[in-house]
Amino acid sequence: VAVRTLIAVMAFAALPAAAAQAQLWPPRLPGIGRQAPPPAAVAPMTPGALQADLVVKAGSDTIYFSPRGHALDANAIARLTAQARWLLANPFVAIRLEGHGDERDSRDYALAIGDRRANAVRDFLILQGVAPHRISVLSWGKERPGSVRIGPSVVAAGPRVRIVIR
Amino acid sequence: VVIAVPVFATEKNVLTDAGNTWSLANQIADLIAADLKSTNRFIVADVKNVRIPSFPEVTAPSYAQWRAARAKLLLSGFVNARSDGRVTIGCYVYDVQSGRELGRKGFAVAPLEWRRAAHRCADAAYVEFTGNPPLFDSRIAYVAQSGRDETAVKRLAMMDFDGANHSYLSSGGEIVLTPRWSPSADRIAYTSFNGERLHVRVVDTAAGADRPLLAIGGGANFAPAFSPDGNEIALSISVEGNTDVFTVSASGGIPRRLTTSPAIDTSPSYSPDGRRIAFASDRSGTPQLYVMNANGSNQRRISFGPGEYGSPVWSPDGERIAFSNRQGVTVRIGVMNANGSDERIVTQGPRDEQPSWSPDGNRILFQRADQASGRSQLAIVPAAGGVIRTIPTPQGATDPYWARGKE
Repeated sequence: VAVRTLIAVMAFAALPAAAAQAQLWPPRLPGIGRQAPPPAAVAPMTPGALQADLVVKAGSDTIYFSPRGHALDANAIARLTAQARWLLANPFVAIRLEGHGDERDSRDYALAIGDRRANAVRDFLILQGVAPHRISVLSWGKERPGSVRIGPSVVAAGPRVRIVIR
Repeated sequence: VVIAVPVFATEKNVLTDAGNTWSLANQIADLIAADLKSTNRFIVADVKNVRIPSFPEVTAPSYAQWRAARAKLLLSGFVNARSDGRVTIGCYVYDVQSGRELGRKGFAVAPLEWRRAAHRCADAAYVEFTGNPPLFDSRIAYVAQSGRDETAVKRLAMMDFDGANHSYLSSGGEIVLTPRWSPSADRIAYTSFNGERLHVRVVDTAAGADRPLLAIGGGANFAPAFSPDGNEIALSISVEGNTDVFTVSASGGIPRRLTTSPAIDTSPSYSPDGRRIAFASDRSGTPQLYVMNANGSNQRRISFGPGEYGSPVWSPDGERIAFSNRQGVTVRIGVMNANGSDERIVTQGPRDEQPSWSPDGNRILFQRADQASGRSQLAIVPAAGGVIRTIPTPQGATDPYWARGKE
């Protein structure tokens, strides 16, 4: 009888403890087996602030292509690898890959190759471990030619894919 | 050929919604003369000193006075007010030498529609004399562009081929690209882009109804082109970065795939008999022109000149294909036979693109960058090359497409 009573008391005593523990779930402990979420993910940042953070940490938010190409060259892969690292460190950020054609492409071809470039970047990021559902893709064709400053002159930004935080 | 186009006759000068009939009679004759002159196929006889035909003389001309004016052809007509508020416009084409009637047309139209009737009168002479399809009662769809390149507002617009009756079909909230008329010129298929979704839409130009061609959820779709019977639309659809040519019923439904290459296949254009489709593909490594049967079989390359090719469009007679050609930083318009032979570049560049045929197949309408301002504008060049004429538009203009003329 005494043993049975003791078990009953313990079971009764366990209830508030379990309830207390449930309130604490998920435990606010340093991650075990994975990186702690960086401050960006805890305190929500605006897309603009995240975009700026991506540029600072990965060096750029844009990948450039040769006029005809959609293949990733060594520069592109180095940059994309840094961008993938940033995306893995910010797992709650969704992105849109915006592809662009060349202003001397035909209108249709610019749309098609911008789309193809954006998908080439998407495939690479997925291989690096970025979840597919975080990535959407679109092509601007040659509708947003863009510009970059090289020294004193401003030139068309040309064939490129920009990672845009959504 | 020299043609006389005297002021139209009017039985009785009556006030209408578009001014009095005497004033209409003058404007109609002026418009017909301007139409015919614009083709370079007609010299309009000076008829200032010739007595204006009376109403009965329209159907029984005094040939001697037109022979004296050195005219070979005579286009004479009348405009009369009707009791229902409309006007009757009649026109007659005569061979002055033989004293024979070659053709006639008659219309009962609202007074404000007089321009269309006048264009069709000009067509009566043009078709009779040249044997070409009608030209003057035709419209041009294009994209009106305002603002800086990076944030340009682009609106779907249409106008008569001579710039009259200009109107906008979209508000500018979305980017619109590559409008294409249906063969009966009652619908325009175009590409719409709001920064999220790139897709083909079809607008009924009379009713204003505007709808997406395909159900939401497929890939990005663009570059539409009507089949000659108006029942099908060929277009590009991108699936996971691979753009192919498909066709779909003009009322929507499930698209059928015509190309399967892992390369880009885009810019389809039907032959006028509907049996073949020209398109652009970079399967060889650079964008080139190809032709296939309308079911996708027998795909073969037709462009082998220097540079890269795009935007093929089939001529109304089915014999030729116009295209854009890029060599370095220069983009120009060219024409080749449908089998790829006899290629010739017909403009000088540096930024000429988006060719479209005139309804009679004699000229090519295209988009170019004005040398001085850099502004995009519309221009016309004879299909064999020659003097380029600019078409005035209220704003910058791109992506022109010329509809077939009305019979």
